Amino acid sequence: MAASTKTDIRSALTNHGGWTSLLTFCILTLAWVAGFSSRLFAVIRFESIIHEFDPWFNYRATHHMVTNGFYNFLNWFDERAWYPLGRIVGGTVYPGLMVTSGGIHWLLHTLNIPVHIRDVCVFLAPLFSGLTAIATYLFTKELWNGGAGLLAACFIAIVPGYISRSVAGSYDNEGIAIFALMFTYYLWLKSVKTGSVFWSVCTSLSYFYMVSAWGGYVFIINLIPLHVFVLLLMGRFSQRVYVAYSVFYIVGLILSMQIPFVGFQPIRTSEHMAAAGVFALINAYGAVQYIQTFLSKKEFKTFFFVAIVSSAGLVFVSVVGLTYLGYIAPWSGRFYSLWDTGYAKIHIPIIASVSEHQPTPWFSFFFDLHLLICTFPAGLWFCIKNVTDERVFIALYAVSATYFAGVMVRLMLTLTPCVCVLSAVAFNVTFEKYLKVEEDETKKVEEDEDAEDSDEPEKNDKKKSLYDKAGKIKKFKQEVPKESEDLGLNIRSLVMVCLMMMLMMFAVHCTWVTSNAYSSPSIVLASYAQDGSRNIIDDFREAYYWLRQNTADDATVMSWWDYGYQIAGMANRTTLVDNNTWNNSHIALVGKAMSSNETAAYSIMQSLGVDYVLVIFGGVIGFSGDDINKFLWMVRIAEGEHPAEIKESDYFTQQGEFRVDAAASPIFMKSLMYKMCYYRFGELQLDYRSPAGYDRTRNVEIGDKNVKLSVLEEAYTTQHWLVRIYKVKDLNNKVKVTEPHIVSKKRKSRYISKKTKKIRKGSIKNKPTIIKGRHPSKTRSKSRV
Amino acid sequence: MRATGQPRVLPLLLLCVASLATLAGTQPGRRKELSLNEKVDQLLDWNAKRSVIKMNGDKYRTFVKSAPRNYSVIMMLTALQPQRHCSICKQANEEFQIVANSWRYSQSYSGRLFFAMVDYDQAADVFQSLKMTSAPVFIHFPPKGKPKKADTMDLQRVGFYAEAIAKWVGERTDIQIRIFRPPNYSGTIAVTMLFSLIGGLLYLRRNNLDFLYNKTSWAIGALAVVLAMTSGQMWNHIRGPPFMHRNPQTGQVAWVHGGSRSQFIIETYIVMVLNASVVFGIVLLNEAASGKGEVGKRRIIAIVGLGIVAFFFSLILSVFRSKYQGYPYSFLIK
Repeated sequence: MAASTKTDIRSALTNHGGWTSLLTFCILTLAWVAGFSSRLFAVIRFESIIHEFDPWFNYRATHHMVTNGFYNFLNWFDERAWYPLGRIVGGTVYPGLMVTSGGIHWLLHTLNIPVHIRDVCVFLAPLFSGLTAIATYLFTKELWNGGAGLLAACFIAIVPGYISRSVAGSYDNEGIAIFALMFTYYLWLKSVKTGSVFWSVCTSLSYFYMVSAWGGYVFIINLIPLHVFVLLLMGRFSQRVYVAYSVFYIVGLILSMQIPFVGFQPIRTSEHMAAAGVFALINAYGAVQYIQTFLSKKEFKTFFFVAIVSSAGLVFVSVVGLTYLGYIAPWSGRFYSLWDTGYAKIHIPIIASVSEHQPTPWFSFFFDLHLLICTFPAGLWFCIKNVTDERVFIALYAVSATYFAGVMVRLMLTLTPCVCVLSAVAFNVTFEKYLKVEEDETKKVEEDEDAEDSDEPEKNDKKKSLYDKAGKIKKFKQEVPKESEDLGLNIRSLVMVCLMMMLMMFAVHCTWVTSNAYSSPSIVLASYAQDGSRNIIDDFREAYYWLRQNTADDATVMSWWDYGYQIAGMANRTTLVDNNTWNNSHIALVGKAMSSNETAAYSIMQSLGVDYVLVIFGGVIGFSGDDINKFLWMVRIAEGEHPAEIKESDYFTQQGEFRVDAAASPIFMKSLMYKMCYYRFGELQLDYRSPAGYDRTRNVEIGDKNVKLSVLEEAYTTQHWLVRIYKVKDLNNKVKVTEPHIVSKKRKSRYISKKTKKIRKGSIKNKPTIIKGRHPSKTRSKSRV
Repeated sequence: MRATGQPRVLPLLLLCVASLATLAGTQPGRRKELSLNEKVDQLLDWNAKRSVIKMNGDKYRTFVKSAPRNYSVIMMLTALQPQRHCSICKQANEEFQIVANSWRYSQSYSGRLFFAMVDYDQAADVFQSLKMTSAPVFIHFPPKGKPKKADTMDLQRVGFYAEAIAKWVGERTDIQIRIFRPPNYSGTIAVTMLFSLIGGLLYLRRNNLDFLYNKTSWAIGALAVVLAMTSGQMWNHIRGPPFMHRNPQTGQVAWVHGGSRSQFIIETYIVMVLNASVVFGIVLLNEAASGKGEVGKRRIIAIVGLGIVAFFFSLILSVFRSKYQGYPYSFLIK
């Protein structure tokens, strides 16, 4: 491009196509750079580390793959997770992420650039955000025109709804999956438009990449059939759609089944049945259309009727029969909770306990999308008013994605691209009309990121002949020049300045949100003193490093499942449960150990072979996400599996409050969690104004300041007490007989009576003797009355 | 109160009681003489009529409070009279009925557990004797002894859904009740009605189906769904927040919830209207630029559209600011 401008400047200046490509190229590059650099807050403030929880597992898996090779990775049985069950990692993971970063790592090493795999992992998501911007540009270009595409690319590069999952260090599936999603949609639109097998196969390949990367591929495999179905209903069905869909479905189906984790799901679960149904439907429709050419009208009518009834009956019977026989699995719980919104709350506490699975208040929509959330319905309006085959797709996408985003916060991610595209359409339409005529007045506001936004409309009119496919807009083009003078320069510039201001606010908001809300690695905490100086709290890594250095290589660490991946990744020790919550009963067992008293917990820990127990305690620094605040979920999950031993109501006070001070329920104060968190905390006075043992998270003085541990001993507590590690004592070789025999027997019996009072009573109650024994009490009470 | 008993009249009385359940309490005298078996028979008899036995003061003292019992009683203290304005009582009553019916028609139904209810307006003395001042309350009366603290169900914490009640009953009595909700046909009926209505309309207008191709109505429908979802109606549906908040001391009405994690119903409506206004403004702007007609008129439309967009967007921003302390940016309105 640059070369051509040099050789013949005069012709290049007048060559609209050349200018457009140059501008497009520059804007997309700038969008990439802006998107990349606004994701680097965490790296600059802290360091180049992997964030949060799931990314640690992904990093560990990637590391394993890079060191041992791809096939060993696929066959990897991880004996360090879910002890003693273990986990088949190769078959329970979407390998796309690992393969992508492994591939980049391999490429760089082939070019003799020695980069550590960790750095590849950290910067993968920001890198892909640029690719997402390009994919969005292409998608919007197919849908509307190039100007809208550039706006959409700029939006998606900096919008917080997407940044929240793709900052540097957040090495998770979503980082690459949104790119795959948008690129698949782009290719799908392309294949619907052209009806060529080539583009359909490209769509399937891109779909394959998406399947390998993220479980959200189900969204694609339902949205595309929906699009085809609606096109059929609208009478817009054509050969192009037929070719595009049947090729995509068959090739995509076969490719998706190559992923070990997905396996035979695409033909066996209900989530995928819509796609199969639409495939059958369009084939039937095609066949009927073909037969129609042979038959007379009357014959056709009867044939049509018989065919419809019999085929519908056949399909229905076969689906019901296959479901009944167990070949087609009914909806899985997570998907079911999308439709029946109360389902998860009642039946699956482990899903309900994850904050990502909560419904979305309007605040989150505005927080993540700001200006776009108010303007994108306008884009939807323009799309429906000037409907084409592709715009049906974006309308369906918008409606379904808003529904899903409303049900679950994490699905905001799938809504974000669609909102960016439609807002871009809305702005593009407006800019086109208000920036139309005077070329000289369009040179204005050139702010940092909005420079890109303001640039587009300028050349939209030039680009029109290239990209515009909508019939209606062409009409504007002919009309506007005649009447454009009428609206007046003042109004035009007023509108433009105002819209520019709003877009600037959007850019500022995005940066602010990214910097404040989404750039915390959450394994390193930062607190700010009153003079503004920063204090870094690095307790997590301190504790994990201690575990790595000071414990036996095969030591088993028990903790709540949130920290499983981090322990495995950073400390390289065996864990009982982790963030892959596949085995609810195992988690419930850990929850039970945490919430029962020392004796009961000890027997569980012995049976599970636990060497160390790790708890997160935020009472010293006022960290709210600690284990005491998560404790009720442990109790709930434990109660779900062991209702006889653990009862949620036992952990509340009589007034139904959950407290840790002197009024706390005695069972809670005796629980392992309470004891581990507050062990020796009563001796610690943090402040002259507050008493010893003052919990800063819950702002109370703790109830039990003299916690005694008998089966555990404190092994390590970090600087700010954030992580506390306890060692499980071995079984005593020989019980010390320090007290007379009778006393110990008495103690034992007293304990049993407390624990199993009800059971013993129940067994006696059925004996006739108890009725005999009751009479005197009755008579006594009567006589007293 | 301690009138002499008339044991021989009892079978006859039972019949009366069975037929005139509400009058039964007025029959004095047989209370003291009722043995355990008679009590159980009596209760079973009532239970055959209705799954929740209505109690008054006398019946409460006879069957629930006095000593020889081998059955548990789950009692709901409530105030269902309309003048009490206890809307929650009605919901609790419905759930309670579901539990009682599930027990009444379950396989393991026996005389071990009874469900009873006391209405404040029929038996205020029961409330007094239990020192209850609020309704609804669920109390479990164990087979022997007095109810302990844990025998009063904690509605604040566990709610009063039938499942929660059944779980609590299971905890207190070791009787597991499997909740069987009578299938709710209202949703199905509504959907069928809707479909038949649409079908009928289509049939009536079968010669003129152009309205199906009317893009404006489809666009409005799509916008309605999108606006409803982005203003958090699904959150309302799942969480069931209050409509608005009225401060009982000052009488001040808060329309917008102060925290970012929560919202009021009216707040979501406001947000929906604000979003819709911005969209309307943008559409107006475009109409003004592309429409045909008088220039002056279109200029005014353009200005109005711009004003709407700018004003309502800054209004949303200020609502947002009020929910998120420390948000630094605002536009036009503080």
